[in-house]
Amino acid sequence: MKLSLPENQKLRFLRWFDFRSWRVGMLAYILNRVTAIGLVVYLYLHLVVLSILTGGPTQWDPFVALARSPFFLALDVILLAGILIHGLNGVRVTLTGVGVGVGAQKTLFAALMLVGAVLLLAGAWKIFMG
Amino acid sequence: MALNVTLRMFRYRPDQSARYDMFKVTVPDAANVLDAIEQAWAQHDRALMFRHACHHASCGTCAVRVNGREVLPCIVPVKKYLDGDKPLTIEPLKNFSLVGDLVVDVANFFQKQAASGLVITRPTENKLEGKPIAYDQGLDPASVETVPFNRFENCIECGICLSACPTMAASVKFFGPASLAALERELDKTTDPQRRARLLELADDEQGVWRCHSAWECTETCPQNVRPAEAIMALRRRIFAQRFGFGK
Ligand code: SF4
Repeated sequence: MKLSLPENQKLRFLRWFDFRSWRVGMLAYILNRVTAIGLVVYLYLHLVVLSILTGGPTQWDPFVALARSPFFLALDVILLAGILIHGLNGVRVTLTGVGVGVGAQKTLFAALMLVGAVLLLAGAWKIFMG
Repeated sequence: MALNVTLRMFRYRPDQSARYDMFKVTVPDAANVLDAIEQAWAQHDRALMFRHACHHASCGTCAVRVNGREVLPCIVPVKKYLDGDKPLTIEPLKNFSLVGDLVVDVANFFQKQAASGLVITRPTENKLEGKPIAYDQGLDPASVETVPFNRFENCIECGICLSACPTMAASVKFFGPASLAALERELDKTTDPQRRARLLELADDEQGVWRCHSAWECTETCPQNVRPAEAIMALRRRIFAQRFGFGK
């Protein structure tokens, strides 16, 4: 029988992403890492897209058209989701790290993610309709 | 009433590729998962490797994963997992080297426990840290420095928290939840400034408390309510207080 993730030594580097026994804390941990990687990738993507402007003033209009295309607007929403999840989860980590809300870390995570979801909906509305 | 249950057992030997074996066993209604594992060994395969000793959650030896989650199989009922014909998947702890089947190598973990200074003695031992212990002495707060604690630790060194910890999965060098909790307990046991400084230095190491990413899985899974995550947070506060002179 083929081995599942954690015992497979070739996939050892992915062991932190073993979501098979998800609990709230593990979910928070995985989300934090995935969004962190996503935000770093975005930073470079952002620089690549901005480099279009090095082509001179004539590149401005195509750049704006690209940035306003539905695909890029959708990317903006994903970016916002990443920032909210990572940032708000960071608030939980910081608070519990200094001893605040230690006994209620799961509730804290759920509440912060709820705040994030509301802000994401508002942000997505603004990005597409604003 | 007897229960018929199928165990989907992780099998591994260093010279073979790993696999899962299916064992059908019949156990009494009140059986715990360890009883079912023992039945698989007794009825199907005497080569099955697993560890156990006390059968009542005091030795911490038998820890495994059942359906992906870390438990002491000696205290969890088979009934809890029964779901139609679905087998119970029994696997070894994660984040340890495999020895064979359900047995993992705990040497690295125990070395860290020893480094934390947490000494656990058994009643047959009459010395702790070189000092004689009188068992009828009780716990006199005034003698806390001269009469060492004797097994007042909740931690049974089962390794469950290490298996559940995602930081441990990323690096086995991480000092780990149980050993950090042990450091916190040791700090409670001494007022000797030198010893306290040494313990805090260990906690403040690059593989110490700052590597924890607050997944809280250790506290969630610990069968003994040691609450290692809270201990890690307490250690951070101690280090912070020491660094910035709050005098804790
Ligand atoms: S802290 Fe809890 S889970 Fe970790 S080794 Fe000790 S008893 Fe087991």
